[in-house]
Amino acid sequence: MDITEIKKLANLSRIDIKDDEAKAMAQDFDAILAYVDQIKEVSEEIGNKDESITDKENYFLYNIMREDEVANNDKGKREDILKNAPDTQDGFIKVKQIL
Amino acid sequence: MEINLRELTISKAHQLLIDQKIKVKDLVDVYLGEIKEKNKDINAYLEIYNNLDEQIEKAQELIDSGGATLLTGIPIAIKDNILYKGQIASASSLILENYVATYDSFVVERLKDEGVIFLGRTNMDEFAMGSSTETSAFGVTKNPHDISRVPGGSSGGSASAVAGDMALVALGTETCGSVRQPASFCGLVGLKPSYGAVSRSGIIAMGSSLDQVGPMAKTVEEVEIVFKAISKYDKKDSTSIPEEKRDIEKKPLKKKIGIPREFLESGGIDKAVLNNFEETCQKLKSLGYEIVDISLPILKYSLAVYYIIMPAEVSSNLARYDGIRYGLSIDADNLFDVYAKSRASGFGKEVRRRILLGTYVLSHGYYDAYYNTAIKVRKMIKDEINKAFLDIDAFITPTVPFLPFKLGEKLNDPVSMYLCDIFSAPANLANIPAITIPSGKTNEGLPFGVQITAPFLREDVLFQIGKDIESLQ
Repeated sequence: MDITEIKKLANLSRIDIKDDEAKAMAQDFDAILAYVDQIKEVSEEIGNKDESITDKENYFLYNIMREDEVANNDKGKREDILKNAPDTQDGFIKVKQIL
Repeated sequence: MEINLRELTISKAHQLLIDQKIKVKDLVDVYLGEIKEKNKDINAYLEIYNNLDEQIEKAQELIDSGGATLLTGIPIAIKDNILYKGQIASASSLILENYVATYDSFVVERLKDEGVIFLGRTNMDEFAMGSSTETSAFGVTKNPHDISRVPGGSSGGSASAVAGDMALVALGTETCGSVRQPASFCGLVGLKPSYGAVSRSGIIAMGSSLDQVGPMAKTVEEVEIVFKAISKYDKKDSTSIPEEKRDIEKKPLKKKIGIPREFLESGGIDKAVLNNFEETCQKLKSLGYEIVDISLPILKYSLAVYYIIMPAEVSSNLARYDGIRYGLSIDADNLFDVYAKSRASGFGKEVRRRILLGTYVLSHGYYDAYYNTAIKVRKMIKDEINKAFLDIDAFITPTVPFLPFKLGEKLNDPVSMYLCDIFSAPANLANIPAITIPSGKTNEGLPFGVQITAPFLREDVLFQIGKDIESLQ
């Protein structure tokens, strides 16, 4: 990991980063990636696995749908939500111009 | 009347309350007295709620009208990432410092119905990322057993509150050990429920495929009471398990517990911790348990798998903090800079590190090598564990490989901090329940803990074995 790579990730993550922090972070990344790289030892076995018994038992994984209707008509809630917004106008959250 | 908080449990407090020997206000006042005296040193609580009178009145009415449950009037602390309508929930982060919850989390709603008293919100590692409560933006929390040491984390404030008699019980959350590890470091019982047993609605998300809310208390019985109150189906959490699917066949115990020996040996365990663990296993044999070594070599990859899946989920979940809709916002000339400056100022170092790490393992060119491989190994881990459970009731390990460490000791070495959770990871990855039970203390008074891990939805196994371990102390 080098500073350029860290800065690219910071940019993708929308987080400003200074050079000295990027340098320290690159070192942390090297240590963390060296640790997690051990999963590569098992990745070869993965191809020859039998069918997963967990999949069969995974009975609580299924799609959950609902009608596309407004579920909450509590007017007070809208006020509460807007109170947490940094900038509002006419009952809306105000965003910087993007075009 | 004098109340001995050290010996107090939910059942004892309930009896005193329904016999009208004490009022809810008396009980709350005793805890507030302890908080006033100790919290300035321990920093377990970030805030005591301003609506205690109202809560006390409601609970007392329930008791006086004969409508009390075991939890009515019980003073409880909640972690700062659990939403309580009208109160701040900051996840101990500057980015949410002034965020006021606009709705109740499911767990708060459930406990409100029972008339518990929410005393306040407790300190935690920022966004639950840490194992020592040192990454909080609002100061470190100390271990009541030795204030030069960490309480564990990320739910360190909740654990310290109960261990310091500043709450009777507490709620924490965990993504990988954040209830069990601080409970163990503070000499408490702590439960990580089966994934989907407790709703995640209203919990500030970290790793959504791993997160669960869990109770902490001095005894197994109390953890069981709180768990039963919050473990209900919730339609607002699509991964919440419907009631009819919870009703599984519960085979009686074989009284056979496995020790995953290779996994244990990969954990870098302190000698004192290992000795305490072996002693506890020996004592369990005296209660008629068969303790056998089992081979689950795949478990040693759990933490590595976790440190790929978790950051990936973190980087997605924390994208919502953009300085636009809520939270800290730093003004800038253009939208990109509002995002980048708000997130740089609002997130602490560990949070920024994990977001970047998650972005890396999900990025083009690395996705297959890291994220995709990790989810396959996760499935293998689940499979191997589920196979092992065909022969044993549960497996046992120490909860943490070492004793509570000194403040600052591991803060600048991320990998060594991450290794705190090496024995925690399998339960979160495999969606199964696990519990930590106190198993004695060192001569200096530092607590030991052992961990029991059971099959999916078999919290009852944990409570049964847990009570047996408790009886040995």
